[in-house]
Amino acid sequence: MITSSARHTLRLVAVLALLGAAAFPIYWMFVTSLTTSSQLFANRPQLLPSFSELHVYKDIFAAKPVGRWLLNSAIVAVGTTAASIALAVFPAYALSRFRFRGKGAIGFGLFTTQMLPEAMLVVPLYALFAKAALLNSLGGLVLANTAFTVPVVVWILKGAIDAVPLEIEEAARVDGCTRMGIVMGVVLPLIAPTLAAASVIAFFHGWNEYVFAQTFITEDRLHTASVGLAGFVGELSTPIHSVMAVGFLYTLPAVVFYLMVQKHVVAGMTAGGVKG
Amino acid sequence: MSSNSLELETPPAADVSTRARKAARLEGHPLLPYLLVLPATLYLVVFQIVPLLQELGLSFTATSLLASNQSEWIGLANYRDLIGDPDFRKAIVITLIYTVVCVVAAISLGLGSALLLDAPFRGRGFARAAVTIPWAAPPVAVALTAIWIFNAQYGVFGHVLRFFGLEAGSLNWLDSMDYALPAVLMITIWQIFPFASVVILAALQGVPHEQREAATIDGADRLNVFKAVVWPTIQPSVMLLALFSTIWSLRRFDLIWLLTQGGPVGATNTLVIDVYRRAFVNQQLGQGAAVGMVGVAIALVVTVVYFKYTARAAKAGER
Repeated sequence: MITSSARHTLRLVAVLALLGAAAFPIYWMFVTSLTTSSQLFANRPQLLPSFSELHVYKDIFAAKPVGRWLLNSAIVAVGTTAASIALAVFPAYALSRFRFRGKGAIGFGLFTTQMLPEAMLVVPLYALFAKAALLNSLGGLVLANTAFTVPVVVWILKGAIDAVPLEIEEAARVDGCTRMGIVMGVVLPLIAPTLAAASVIAFFHGWNEYVFAQTFITEDRLHTASVGLAGFVGELSTPIHSVMAVGFLYTLPAVVFYLMVQKHVVAGMTAGGVKG
Repeated sequence: MSSNSLELETPPAADVSTRARKAARLEGHPLLPYLLVLPATLYLVVFQIVPLLQELGLSFTATSLLASNQSEWIGLANYRDLIGDPDFRKAIVITLIYTVVCVVAAISLGLGSALLLDAPFRGRGFARAAVTIPWAAPPVAVALTAIWIFNAQYGVFGHVLRFFGLEAGSLNWLDSMDYALPAVLMITIWQIFPFASVVILAALQGVPHEQREAATIDGADRLNVFKAVVWPTIQPSVMLLALFSTIWSLRRFDLIWLLTQGGPVGATNTLVIDVYRRAFVNQQLGQGAAVGMVGVAIALVVTVVYFKYTARAAKAGER
């Protein structure tokens, strides 16, 4: 028989181990970025950051267009989020509220587009974008990314709209609201947590995306952070603490942003798509 | 929650018909729903369906990346070549191992950590947020960090293994025939298990407290309470999670590509990596497309099996 205090201690140890494992690689990225060159190749790793090395962060901005990379990633991420939500709200509403011929086919179609890997469609999409003069354009990246986020965003929003009682819409209708007014003024505010969750998913997709950004963009000034950072793989001239500094600058906004909206994401997941 | 289409319980018949009547009352012009789905549908047709069909067409041709306008129709030859291609067979095996291990490990770890974070303790809110950090980290940054952590001489992973006197600590795991796949799996699972944890934790909030307490008072041990009360509530979420994790693992590219490019000697060459490798490294677009079609077919089979299974489970639930 395990006593309850022993069980409590066990749980605490398990939680600490879990958090340590989850946070370690990010912590290690940070520590490495603040390690002197001589310490990097020592026999024993340095476990704590040396804050006297903070100049690495200043130096890397001078050596590489890191600010430009991060800005481009932000533009792509925000664009992808806005386009995904704008395109997904109305089909989600239609799939939730109406019965119509072809609804099953559209639902299944949405689901199957989830399976198509970017790395496969990049060949025909490249040809399409070349014809439409969308190569070397951040707008083009937004268009390509949105095609991969719309299905999952529709799916999540539909789940949330399902949970909005019809009576609320009827009441608004009796009060003389138009259909458009009902969707924008009644339904969307009610599913705000799910909208936040869906936005986070679209934003992360745009922020993280690598394949299209690598293939469609050849001009240096349009490179995103994912491509800029990936360029360090196999490159030996940039010291590892500088590489980790760029990686950390690219990771930190995503993690901080996620932690800020994390409550909404969990609430949105509960209400929305992942539960069905 | 009762309107959840994939949930196993079915609402009573009366409820269904009132809902249907209400839906009918809400319906406006019969063409309205089509108008609402039209923009997104067109968008997906242009950017997903047409490219998919073009890729299918490409798979019946011999096309070089360098002269993609000179393409020769060769029927099923690409597919026939794949059957005899040992690299392709290996890619199938690697894909299956990668996918199954990712899904099983992510869900087991997700379930374990969700149960751990479900019970009350001080700092629980912080712990719940912190455990999701890996999911928020960009895969490209994760790959770069992992390459450094697994560095044979100076990586912290090797330092730790050598500290415990393990020989494998002197290898670069990502460069090793035997250890590359385990290393890629470890990194992937680290990145994806928090998502499973979040979803299962959300599902656990639906477990009826009274039932759980009643079962505990009746003297049921933890395992039995889990089997009788907890599992039936979270099972639909776990099944859906398994489906999504499977599809996402089948199509994961950037993490694996940056870690190993599918190597060494194909040790981590999943189908999606193989598609890219054939198209952009070997410059054979037709062959790459054929591999891609096999990958899509596998994902489709998984999805159909899932929907058949949930439909049967729903029926069994009715009886």
